[in-house]
Amino acid sequence: MGILLLIIWLIQDLLYLIVFPGLVVAMVLVILLIYLERKIAAKVQMRYGPLYVSRKVGGALQSVSDLLRFSFQEFILPIGSDSIAFLMAPGFMFAFAMMPLIFIPVGPYYSYLFPSTLTILFSVALITITPIYAIIVGWASDNKFSFIGSLREAFLVISYEIPLLLSVIAMVIVYRTLNYIPAVAFQETHLPGIILNPIAALVFIIVAIRSTGRFPFDITEADSELIMGLYTEYSALFFGIGMATPYIELYALSLIFSLLFLGGWWPVSIHATGLLAGLFLPGIIVIIKAFIVMMVLVFLRAVYPRYRVDQAVRSGWERIIYLGIIAVIISILEVIII
Amino acid sequence: MKDKEKRKLRGDVEGNARALATGFKYLVEPNRMTLDYPVESMKLAPNYRGFFTVDDKKCIGCSMCEMVCPPEAITMIPRVVSPTGETLPVQEGASQEAGAKPAKKTKRPVVNWGRCIYCYFCFDICPVDAFVRSNVHDLAYYNDADYRPSYEGYLKLPEDPVKKSKKVVPRPDMKRGIKYEPAP
Amino acid sequence: MNLNEKVYDISEAGSIEPEGDRTIALQIGPSHPGSGHMRIKTRMDGDIITKVDADIGFVHRTSEWLSERRQFIKAIPIVERIMLPDTVHANLAYVLALEKILNIEPPPRAQYLRSLAAEINRITSHLYGIGIFGIFLGSSTVYMWAFGDREPFIDLMEMLTGARITNSYIVPGGVRWEMPKGFKEKAESTLQYMENRFNDYNDIWAKNPVVEARTVNVGVVDRNRAISLGVVGPNLRASGVDYDTRKASPYAAYKDIDFEVPKMNHGDSYDRLLIRIEEIKQSIRIIRQILKDMPEGKIIADSIYSQLNPVMKKVFEQEQRVMFPAFFNQMRPAAAESIARVEAGRGEIFFYLKTNGDKYPYRFRWVTPSFRNLAYFSDVAVGYRLADLPAIYGSIDYFPPEADR
Repeated sequence: MGILLLIIWLIQDLLYLIVFPGLVVAMVLVILLIYLERKIAAKVQMRYGPLYVSRKVGGALQSVSDLLRFSFQEFILPIGSDSIAFLMAPGFMFAFAMMPLIFIPVGPYYSYLFPSTLTILFSVALITITPIYAIIVGWASDNKFSFIGSLREAFLVISYEIPLLLSVIAMVIVYRTLNYIPAVAFQETHLPGIILNPIAALVFIIVAIRSTGRFPFDITEADSELIMGLYTEYSALFFGIGMATPYIELYALSLIFSLLFLGGWWPVSIHATGLLAGLFLPGIIVIIKAFIVMMVLVFLRAVYPRYRVDQAVRSGWERIIYLGIIAVIISILEVIII
Repeated sequence: MKDKEKRKLRGDVEGNARALATGFKYLVEPNRMTLDYPVESMKLAPNYRGFFTVDDKKCIGCSMCEMVCPPEAITMIPRVVSPTGETLPVQEGASQEAGAKPAKKTKRPVVNWGRCIYCYFCFDICPVDAFVRSNVHDLAYYNDADYRPSYEGYLKLPEDPVKKSKKVVPRPDMKRGIKYEPAP
Repeated sequence: MNLNEKVYDISEAGSIEPEGDRTIALQIGPSHPGSGHMRIKTRMDGDIITKVDADIGFVHRTSEWLSERRQFIKAIPIVERIMLPDTVHANLAYVLALEKILNIEPPPRAQYLRSLAAEINRITSHLYGIGIFGIFLGSSTVYMWAFGDREPFIDLMEMLTGARITNSYIVPGGVRWEMPKGFKEKAESTLQYMENRFNDYNDIWAKNPVVEARTVNVGVVDRNRAISLGVVGPNLRASGVDYDTRKASPYAAYKDIDFEVPKMNHGDSYDRLLIRIEEIKQSIRIIRQILKDMPEGKIIADSIYSQLNPVMKKVFEQEQRVMFPAFFNQMRPAAAESIARVEAGRGEIFFYLKTNGDKYPYRFRWVTPSFRNLAYFSDVAVGYRLADLPAIYGSIDYFPPEADR
């Protein structure tokens, strides 16, 4: 009997990890998001966007066909590259981008492979690992443009990681927990985080744009300067993985944002029970919220050009970090007053 | 100098807000200008410079078009005038027929479509205005050889490759710049 | 990884670093999204550019040579093809030079039509430049908008001449086609549309904080430096020099037209961005005036018209289409030389034509605005960051085929 329970528990966890909200849902959302990103940009820009692949559904299968194309393309290994690092780094990058999803609950009864009460800490810590592999990618490519791209990535990571942690710390101070589920419960009984501390929400959004390379911080892949930045030498599926990684990161960050700032599964009570209200509905609500956040962030492509790297680094150290400190102070004041 | 100071004073907040608002305005109310080409295609004005051919009966074979052609796309090929007034290909040995009146020799232009730049200089230099215009322009061939038609092939104007599509005409529009309306 | 270890370009002695040099060589182009048809050889000290060397000639097409080995009339399509965004101006400059040799004076209506075509062309050329600058800074919206808004103006040219880009509209003695019916109304509504769009261009592009951050005080060329570099066109006027060939030596109908030459003071990338928008506004004003004041009359000089045969004259009466007299085919101007200067979208075109009584030109020298604006490259970008290179390059509105000829 005990063994059976263990197996059920394991299967359930694998289901969470691989199907919902893990790999499968993430990939489906990413494919949908890339399509919508192109459509949104096209709407603003006087054109149709993807249309010819599956014309009847408005070109919705374009991203799928791109994925297939990447899968069957010829892979080229540059002679001068550090081949092991060159081959491994995109995989690690993708894996570490997926990993925060283990610790992000999408419902009150969500259980983990690694039960923990420090989920906020773990998920944010894992998010900061991905850039290391981005730097390795640039190093291994043996290309000056990739190398400059990875240097830019390093500069930006250092200048924007502290504001990210500050904005999360600000919310942790308000919620007085390092666990997502009590944090959502706090928002249900009080107010959503975005109203409790709007500065922290702003900082978090800016850092999310930065760390996923959305405009106006599309600096590491600036094509008019660096061709394709880090991925200049990549082709085939490895390039596809490299392309998808920022979107996975975006998914993880948007999930965290909707849990910390938008009230999580807010219309559904944390005490709701049953398969529908307790398990599926909260998950769907969180993912819809996260998806809306993602759409807003990809919309910025249609509005902004990109900043220069020194301007982005300077604004990271001179503005965003102070905004983060202000957010923490606001949280402390709130805690003292309440 | 003052302008720059003012720009700074105006602040980033307003600039960002206006940029985002403008982007959002076009997201909600798109001003799409694209012509959805194979599904709909433009009905071009009669003065559009497209494929053209020559009126066999009008042409006098003077070679002015060959001389003026900037990319040297036109070649004059020898022809003979038939009794009906049309030209026939030159047949080797035909002139040796005893008793027959020797056919009048002439020349006719043929255009190499791979070289033609549609400047229509040949049109305008022609002393008898023998060229016939069309506004078919969106045509490509499979082989290099197909770009060089025979004289008989050149006489037929090519068919519009997208004639089944919905024909539209561009109209200036205050919101979209160009709006494609169904052709009358 | 030693960055200086592999020098793929052994043909360039400049790529190999001297001992103790801490800079690295970065070859931007010739196949690079931000280079165009050229190679920008840069040396970087960290993120700072210490040397820029523009290596041009990748799209050299021997156009001068081609035009010197053909009859005079055949050079019209050839000059158009070096500067595709600026076809009318190239065509006009050549015809002006040829008319001086042939002693033909076009009638006033033809002059006005030439100015009309030139100003429509200036708008499309500036929109092209704005669009390319947009994509260089990463703003795909401005790129698409500018190229989309170019379309109504190209449509106007299509209505006027029957072709979108390579119009071959201007011939010695006048223009080839009369303005079609309904052109004025269409032109007026197109101009109004463009005027309405300026607000949106300001919001998304010119006044966008990111664009300001990227371009203000980047690539500054002051007045004296711009003059000594020999820069022409909008780039010169952005540096505060009030010089425009349309005012300095008026051609076509510009003597009779009232317009201003916009100029800026700073000479940075932002000013070069703004001046193109200002010039579009002036072009709109000029087109309105031309459409209002267009004189009646023939569109071709009498000396050409009198050479037409009866068939051609009939065609002219019926279709208002100017056919060519046989003289165009057998032009043999007496030995002479002439120059023509035309203010094109990117600056002043200078054509020098020398004839020696032969069927072909003896010498036909082209000095194109992009070639003169190239002087910016090696000078302006030094001391700025790598990311400023597109911001400078894009603002110059450099068109490689035009410079390479």
